[in-house]
Amino acid sequence: MGKIRRGLGGTSLLLAVIMAIAACAAPQRTTSDTDGDQAGGTDTGGTTQPVAAVIKGLDNPFFQTMQQGIEEQAETTGTEVTVQAANSLGDTTGQADRVQTLAGQDYGCFIINPITQTNLVQPLVQVANAGKYIVNIDSPIGEEAAQAANLEISTYIGTDNVQAGRLAAEEMARLLPEGGDVALIGGVAGDATSQARLEGFQQGIPDNIRIVQTIAADWERQRALTAAGDILRARPDLAGFFVANDDMGLGVVRALADVGRQGEVKVISVDGLQDAIRAVQEGTLSATVAQYPYAIGAMGMEACQAAMAGETLPENVTAPVVVVNQSNADQALESFPRPFAEYEDPFADLLGQQ
Amino acid sequence: MTQATTSPSWERLRDPSFWADWTAAVALVLLIIGFSIASPVFLTLGNIQALLLAAAILVVLTIGQTYVILTGGIDLSVASILTLGSVVLGQAYSRGWGIGVACLLAIVTGTLVGLINGLVIAKGKITDFIVTLGSLSAASGAALVLSNGRPVQIADPFLLRLATGRLGPIGYFVILAAIVAIIAHFVLFHSRFGTHLLATGGDTEAARAMGINTDRIKITAYIISGCLAGIAGVLLTARVGAAEPASNTSFLLNSVAAVVLGGVSLFGGRGTVIGPVVGALLLTALVNGLTLLAVSQFYQPLAVGIVVVLAALLMRYQQ
Amino acid sequence: MSFNEPIHRSENHRAENEAGNGSSHPDSIPPPFTDDDFLPSEAVRSIPAQPDRANVLLYIDQVSKWFGNVHAITDITIWANRGEITAIVGDNGAGKSTLIKCISGVHGPTAGQVFLDGKPVHFTSPEDARRAGIETVYQTLALCNDLTIWQNLFLNREMVNHWGPLSFLDQRAMRRRSAEMLSRLEVNIPSINARVRRLSGGQRQAVAISRAAGWGSRLVIMDEPTAALGVRETARVEELILRLRDDGLAVLLISHNFDQVMRLSNQIWVMRSGRLVGGRRTQDTSGKELVSMITGAQQEEAL
Repeated sequence: MGKIRRGLGGTSLLLAVIMAIAACAAPQRTTSDTDGDQAGGTDTGGTTQPVAAVIKGLDNPFFQTMQQGIEEQAETTGTEVTVQAANSLGDTTGQADRVQTLAGQDYGCFIINPITQTNLVQPLVQVANAGKYIVNIDSPIGEEAAQAANLEISTYIGTDNVQAGRLAAEEMARLLPEGGDVALIGGVAGDATSQARLEGFQQGIPDNIRIVQTIAADWERQRALTAAGDILRARPDLAGFFVANDDMGLGVVRALADVGRQGEVKVISVDGLQDAIRAVQEGTLSATVAQYPYAIGAMGMEACQAAMAGETLPENVTAPVVVVNQSNADQALESFPRPFAEYEDPFADLLGQQ
Repeated sequence: MTQATTSPSWERLRDPSFWADWTAAVALVLLIIGFSIASPVFLTLGNIQALLLAAAILVVLTIGQTYVILTGGIDLSVASILTLGSVVLGQAYSRGWGIGVACLLAIVTGTLVGLINGLVIAKGKITDFIVTLGSLSAASGAALVLSNGRPVQIADPFLLRLATGRLGPIGYFVILAAIVAIIAHFVLFHSRFGTHLLATGGDTEAARAMGINTDRIKITAYIISGCLAGIAGVLLTARVGAAEPASNTSFLLNSVAAVVLGGVSLFGGRGTVIGPVVGALLLTALVNGLTLLAVSQFYQPLAVGIVVVLAALLMRYQQ
Repeated sequence: MSFNEPIHRSENHRAENEAGNGSSHPDSIPPPFTDDDFLPSEAVRSIPAQPDRANVLLYIDQVSKWFGNVHAITDITIWANRGEITAIVGDNGAGKSTLIKCISGVHGPTAGQVFLDGKPVHFTSPEDARRAGIETVYQTLALCNDLTIWQNLFLNREMVNHWGPLSFLDQRAMRRRSAEMLSRLEVNIPSINARVRRLSGGQRQAVAISRAAGWGSRLVIMDEPTAALGVRETARVEELILRLRDDGLAVLLISHNFDQVMRLSNQIWVMRSGRLVGGRRTQDTSGKELVSMITGAQQEEAL
């Protein structure tokens, strides 16, 4: 009896804690209009169903900006949106569970940013069977897997990571007209994004620049810092680093600062985080190839809105990628997180046609 | 007089368990010889300084893990506490509370999480594995909530000096880690608490029968681990110049690997402080050497895994 | 304080004792119950010997221990003398372990009273009992395998040097004293720096007994000290137990080995199903009688 009572006590305590947390956390499902009264997007025809977005993770500014893009775009038209994320970049099954949970609810369109090419295919089949739209952003769902599961993806919006690498290589060539040795610091070895960026860089560099080493720093700033220090010691004549994301890039900048070679050894990274753009402004980071997760998120939302309005979507859309260096860093920072330059947005056109 | 009170060192050398305790040191020496032959840079002063600097955070974390494992437990939350400590530091600093207060808060936070771990494990009688797995998640969640998922750049002169400053040829980080290690060694082998810790880990029932408050010992071990993880959080923040909520999972795995390499029994009650410290150095030296040699990124994790398993095997055979 | 001095000066109790079944109680120790309904159990009355007041160290007066509805032991009254080995025998589940736990402070008795040296004692923990001079050698020995012999001898009683607010182990002193403790009992062990893991079963037992005897203790309780040992080691440990007796300690021995009990003990208490069946001076009984008392066969004759 006492045991049962204690058990009940524990359970109710647990419930209380969960509810307290739920109350503390900002509501996941946000009606976009801030006024509240003016419920549910009247301007796109009143029939707008809510949209669900499941992205990779929120422990990284990249995805936070993506979320911001999704939510702000939803706000402009009064679409209701729920943004969910995996616990971490390794949480493939957790992400699938979230999609599964949302699939049974009344969302009209799903914005999906899968961790791997296949981890969301199974739960998405359910979504597709219910006649809901699937907009794939950032990381692609594997084509073969999608075909095998008979999964129809309305559109794919993503940055071309190979292209980003190529742009970085061009920038590196511009910075090192004489050529020289460069080292590559990637994310987790074998990670598709990291791989594509490094590949693009390799494709894009001229012959007088030699890649002497490639290291996997697992997307961790501290590891990139240590590795860069080690490489600099082994190769004192190294001319530059290409780093697969900004976070690690800032670690490399720190390693250069430690040995007093900031600015002398060139560092180019990818992502276009605010801190990275600031570092570019200060001249410690040579350049960052800015991807616009904000634009990706916003375009994903636009795509959903267009699809639900009955428009036919283009199959593949490339999100903008821009090199931010000292010449345009101020501008980039000013308009952050939005792209500072015009970019092609077919969805905006579709929505505009309405 | 029927006992010999002397402990001749020769006798110890012939004792296989002596070698088991020193597997990491033997492996480290072999590794140093190998790398110094293969790379001219490896044994330079600059590289050794950098290697020790890079190992310092792991060493501090590993010592906390060692204390916990010596009680027969395990602390899976060390890396998350480190992240949380770093984030607390960042938030406090960005609110203008001063770097001293910020650092102190980071350490206090770590200590508190350790205290909670210990209390739940010892008083709640819940398996260490489950509890620290829970606090792993909770601490990294708290770090995300506190920071709103955003890193904070910290360009504080004190932290910068801590990360880059040197006393003679030795970095402050290294001195700090060495001080932590020396204190931890003395506490373990020259204090009542240390003996009771070993007794608790070796045979909780026996320790309890002799009147040792084993719950208190376990709680203290988790507090120490949490506190050291908090300190490691300060060091990490100083090193990267930013407080990031991103998880540092490699620290967790490396801290456990270093403890095991250091000859500490995972069942508790048996081990040293120096062993795991050498284990941490070994793991750092391995990555350092492979990087200097420009070994492909695909082979590095493989090499680390092989060394860990080989060392564990060596230890197993020698026991 | 001697055992002879009355503790409670209640004339009522004394009168009751002298008038009634005084045979089971030394008159200086009143029964803990004043309730008239309460009658001491038959078993208690049947005990033939009276305590030798001058020598009694431990006196257990009508101790009961219940765990909820389970009556683990009921109304146990026994005693143990200084310089003697007192054995407790009985089948598994007879309540021997519960009884010694009540003496060594692991359990507080539900009812009844423990007297040590004539003084009533209330132990709330094994620590309390240890402070009062009662040491227990558990069947598991309570030795830490990975600690050295001297660390085990001094476990939770470490000698320290103070250094301001800090204190450090005085290893040298502990090693020296450990050697003394072992040599006093003529325990032969290669090195006090050896880890207990490397000792034989008999050596471990010897270390555990030395520890129990080495702290100014007056009563050493041993739970099956030779159950896990071979013949030669058993002989060694038995010698050690006799040496404790010769040193004037009271030894409370729990053993299944009748042979051993008959050889070593001076007094034997027999328990069955949580109650005391009877007590004998060893020279007045035989293995056959003990067996019948333990099993309950021919109980009437036995009594």
